[in-house]
Amino acid sequence: MDISFQINGTLRSVDVDENTPLLWVVRDVIGLKGTKFGCGKAACGACTLHVDGEAVRSCSYAVKYAEGKNITTIEGLGDADNPHPVQQAWMEEVVPQCGYCQPGFMMATAAMLDKTPNPTDEDIDANIVNVCRCATYYRMRKAIHRAAELHTANAQNS
Amino acid sequence: MSKEKKDKKGFSRRKFLVRGAVGIGVVLGTGYLTRSIWRRGIAGMINTAESPYMGDTKTPPLWFEVTAENQIILHSPKVEMGQGAFTGLAQIAADELEVDVDRIKVVHAATSTGNIDGFGTGGSTSISSLWMPMRELAATMREMLKNEAAKALNTSPASLQLNNGVITGGGKAITYGEVVAGVQEWEIPKTPPLKDLKDYKFVGQPVARVDLADKVFGAPIFGMDATMPDMLYGAVVRSSLIGAKYKGADTSKAEGMPGVVKIVKEADFVGVVATSRMAAENAKKAISVDWEVDRNWESEDIEAMIQVGQGDPVEIQKKGDAKGLLEAEEGLITAEYKSPIGAHAQLEPNGAVAYVEANKATVMISTQVVEITRSEVADRLGFSKDQVNIVPTFLGGGFGRRLHTPNAIQAAVLSKAVGKPVKCFLNRKEEFQNDTFRPPTHHVLKARLSEDGLIETIEHNVSSGDVMFGSALTPGFLDPIVGADIGAWRGGMIQYGAIPNFRAVSWRVKLPFSTSWWRSLGLLANTFAIESFMDELAIKAGKDPVQFRLDQIQDDKAGQRLKAVIKAAAEKAAWKDEVVDGRAMGFAASTDANTPCAHVVEVSIEEGEIKVHKVTCAMDPGIAVNPDQVRAQCEGSIIMGMSAAMYEQMKVKKGALTPTIYGPYQMALMRNAPKEIDVVLLQNDDKPGAVGEPPMGPIGAAVANAVFRLTGQRLREMPLQLV
Amino acid sequence: MKKTLLPILSIMLLIGSVSIGFGYSEKEGEELSRSSVNELPQQEQNESLAAFNTMMKVLTHKRCVNCHPAGDRPHQGEDSHVHNFGVRRGPDNHGVAALRCETCHQEENNEFSGVPGAPEWSLAPLSMAWEGLNRIEIAKSIMNPAINGGRSLEETVKHLTEHELVLWAWEPGVDADGTPREKPPVPKEKYIAAVKKWAETGAHIPTE
Repeated sequence: MDISFQINGTLRSVDVDENTPLLWVVRDVIGLKGTKFGCGKAACGACTLHVDGEAVRSCSYAVKYAEGKNITTIEGLGDADNPHPVQQAWMEEVVPQCGYCQPGFMMATAAMLDKTPNPTDEDIDANIVNVCRCATYYRMRKAIHRAAELHTANAQNS
Repeated sequence: MSKEKKDKKGFSRRKFLVRGAVGIGVVLGTGYLTRSIWRRGIAGMINTAESPYMGDTKTPPLWFEVTAENQIILHSPKVEMGQGAFTGLAQIAADELEVDVDRIKVVHAATSTGNIDGFGTGGSTSISSLWMPMRELAATMREMLKNEAAKALNTSPASLQLNNGVITGGGKAITYGEVVAGVQEWEIPKTPPLKDLKDYKFVGQPVARVDLADKVFGAPIFGMDATMPDMLYGAVVRSSLIGAKYKGADTSKAEGMPGVVKIVKEADFVGVVATSRMAAENAKKAISVDWEVDRNWESEDIEAMIQVGQGDPVEIQKKGDAKGLLEAEEGLITAEYKSPIGAHAQLEPNGAVAYVEANKATVMISTQVVEITRSEVADRLGFSKDQVNIVPTFLGGGFGRRLHTPNAIQAAVLSKAVGKPVKCFLNRKEEFQNDTFRPPTHHVLKARLSEDGLIETIEHNVSSGDVMFGSALTPGFLDPIVGADIGAWRGGMIQYGAIPNFRAVSWRVKLPFSTSWWRSLGLLANTFAIESFMDELAIKAGKDPVQFRLDQIQDDKAGQRLKAVIKAAAEKAAWKDEVVDGRAMGFAASTDANTPCAHVVEVSIEEGEIKVHKVTCAMDPGIAVNPDQVRAQCEGSIIMGMSAAMYEQMKVKKGALTPTIYGPYQMALMRNAPKEIDVVLLQNDDKPGAVGEPPMGPIGAAVANAVFRLTGQRLREMPLQLV
Repeated sequence: MKKTLLPILSIMLLIGSVSIGFGYSEKEGEELSRSSVNELPQQEQNESLAAFNTMMKVLTHKRCVNCHPAGDRPHQGEDSHVHNFGVRRGPDNHGVAALRCETCHQEENNEFSGVPGAPEWSLAPLSMAWEGLNRIEIAKSIMNPAINGGRSLEETVKHLTEHELVLWAWEPGVDADGTPREKPPVPKEKYIAAVKKWAETGAHIPTE
């Protein structure tokens, strides 16, 4: 079945079983590997991406729901020349260790900051519940607060 | 992966071979090392031995390449699993090569071209084992470049100036890349004198991780991101039940399913190859396997096996007459502690992409044991090792889980069956049920105090499932020589050398499921038991627990380093042995692989749960090549250790290990992580030591000790749960 | 991609105004019962009570109560444990900014992940908390427009018998481990018939 959606600003059409998890379409059909498989059960958050600006765990999201929607993955969040504030903060605080779970955390954080631009520690605890086995949480928290500063500054400048 | 391939097309490079001047593995005699005194000797030796680099020392493997664009490519024999090895190695090489760190690109050495460390990557040895080899290699290469540049510039090597990849002399300049392009035969000089530590520009500095951008922008660098042209997807059927033996399978339902390319039946497993991952997973579910199971295990069965007094005891440490002195009941203080089965739960599942052709095989895989994986794949395919090329990728977490990666074999077998590249990964349930778990432990501690309130005698007995024994890393013939499992008793010795009588005994239990290396091995559980007991003894003696420890540490170099971290942690945390504003502090210390570490934690009880607010960590790893990444390892180790000590446990129900998913397998999340972690780094050694595991040691006991001060509850079982 | 707070705020205001508009008192709510049960013939009384019993076997089942929690946290599973990962109710009963119900739950069960799904997957509002209530109290809350979202008896019956999120209870799918979730102890058709019967016979709530 043909399903069409925008992904990182590009219109894509894919011919796959409509119940295929979006994660596998993004990774194996479209070839964007930044969105990770961790559990396939919507439990770890490694596959988090944005659908119409909302954080979605793509391993548990049938691709049919993506029809006509706007998807953003870590590759579309920003790049080295134009990093998203979250990515900028992640680099400033040198957050990643193994790095595998980090795209999911950054996507969840970006979704949170869009709605909660100045999150408290309690907001962070309630919103960011992904799993990081290297346990980089201490630096992540610092990076999230830093990202909020950068995000606010960007909003004021634009 | 695809990115690297593209780069290769664009570059015209010459292989630049440098002979490695490296350490040699310890050779153990096997004839007569069976008596306990020998075993204790070995235990003591292993406890303090530095792990050498165990790579190829005979042939000149590929260490460095210089591209025409003047970039230096460093082929790392250690894999990058988050510990920061690539960054540290780049710093070391940059200093001796007189280039900036960003001129060096670090890649994983493939077995076809690079050097392989037979030991693998683990045991907190990535930097410590390569500290001297990497300096010598880089310095040698620098001299080779200078010698050739001198010829090209028609001047003497001594007159040359080196500045970030450009060599000037005699009024002219030439880049490293240009030098390399003009040389056919290299002369390898004697290893030159190494630079003085104070002259290093990058070693000792908090250089940003070299893999930072890749990891922040989502580059496809992990094993699970690997692809090959025309790649198919595989899946292998696994049983949920402990000890299940494969007897055969009915695959008729799966055979016609959409996307299925081939069902592959082997003597020991059945798998499927399909056109997509979902097609392979769906077909797998339709395969009905005949498993033979001897017994349906339960948690109670396992607990009954893990008991001090059962199995084979080996005395790993002895001073004075601890055994005799502890026979009398009077004044005897005893306590028992326990730790549960722990899962690795690393985020990237195990798997591989393999392509088996007529007479060669290529496997892309995230593994900690490149050499072992090559041998296993070669054996299964009937190939020589030279016919198998293992291409290591970045690891989505290691933690010891990838010290055996037989999944490479399965991917290779599936690929051979279809003649195309096959990607085959475990799903999460399989990952939880086929883990090489941290074994459960049981500890019995006994002690008697002297009249002056110090420890007269102490004994630690630990019962544990295997860690080293039976693992892919160690040949079986070592077991009877070593006697006790060095992984199981890691951290199990008494580190307070001024105590007149002490003894440590390790009891081996073989469990029905796989137990093996888990970050820091026995350190977390053994330190939890010993350092909780030390706290109990300090309270019995009416002494401050920090001073109580300081008073019983011997005065040699190891003792001085341990005392220094204990004092540093207590001072930085403003240690107080009292409850203030509903918060209490807890203290614990350990020495692991010659790296002493002490933690002070600050804890309160919130909504009935233990809340860790702050951890002050003092650690002495010797030279910190990258202090920022040493701190990062401390932070991660502390929170991962908290997670294991406070939340995690696997159970056995109806023959299966459970749970099989994050959440029910409760782990520390953002909200459980301390908001403050204050790391004090001491550097009282003249070389880099272990970093990635030692900070895990004291965390469980430190939290339990704080909880006792706050609530009066002495929690002697991990995960720590308030009554 | 970016969403302003404005639409969310206006939706919240709208919800607020709706509930204000239907601000009945509890007494008025009880008046939804069309007649006193005592006026019915004995047989019909018995049928009404039986229907009530059947209906409440469903409404007190964990498939319903897990998402009618008394506090800030949804429950899940056959043992009704607090939802993993500290998931919260949020201001609109759909979770918080980056952890919406819809972050994981879609309009259908996901057979690959075992994550359950149905249209409008969310928590019942706090006013409709059933956790800790007995069946009498739950029934009263259903019949009280002050807290049931302003539903009339007819609308309540429609919600109980036709809403896809309610009927999901009979198609609860499998959990993460692949184990089928327990269904309510009464078949769906029998439950629907019981709700209707109960409503037809006066929607009487027994006193104990």
